[in-house]
Amino acid sequence: MRERRGPIGRAASIAENVAAAVRRMQREREPRILVYDHSGYARLVQPEARGHARILEVGQEMVDLATGEEGAPPRSRAAGGGEPG
Amino acid sequence: MAGTLTPERTAARVCELSSDARMAVLLDAAGTLAGASDPDRKLARQLADRARELFEAVDRATRDWDADPAEQVEVQVAGGAVFASRTPRWTLAVVARRAALSSLMLYDLRAVLDELEGGPPIRRATGVAADGDAPERASEEDVASELPLPELGRDAEGEGGR
Repeated sequence: MRERRGPIGRAASIAENVAAAVRRMQREREPRILVYDHSGYARLVQPEARGHARILEVGQEMVDLATGEEGAPPRSRAAGGGEPG
Repeated sequence: MAGTLTPERTAARVCELSSDARMAVLLDAAGTLAGASDPDRKLARQLADRARELFEAVDRATRDWDADPAEQVEVQVAGGAVFASRTPRWTLAVVARRAALSSLMLYDLRAVLDELEGGPPIRRATGVAADGDAPERASEEDVASELPLPELGRDAEGEGGR
């Protein structure tokens, strides 16, 4: 049987949904590295793993090159850069 | 030969397939730039160098893993994402928007590399006939007979109506 909710319950439910959405967006914005084998099986390279920082650094350099941010220090610019010129 | 993908065209082909792709480069087995989506050769070479470094760094990071060598890599960073795929002969790397769907980008990379290595070309849609040997005449009756949908009311008439 479905629980009946009053105004406070509904407001709490909305707040929970908003908080979950914010957490999800933050998680999606976090830098991450995934590697895939031939069968498509994905593995996450953990942040404490050897070489993690170097892979992120190279990835950031590639994004900066493609977005015309060459020479910019990694992650020092606003997200969403412009198109290549 | 029409429909054959060349190394020079491969990187541009990825960018044609995905609107989220910003720039792509193709490297040969020696790590040399074989093609780029951008006409700026200096920029393309810089990106190709980074793509080679990327797989070197991934191989170093994963060499102790009890798994096959990585065939594809996805790196999500501020402002965008990098997807790269390799075969024994080629490495294809693309810089994409952050919102790009990983599964689609990786599928496109693999499909384009397959096409480059002689696999069947990617088809856009079955309805677009590019062949000259396609039948010219297709009457409405012919088309209707191939449709799997029954015509409304026909069964009811056959049963004598209700």
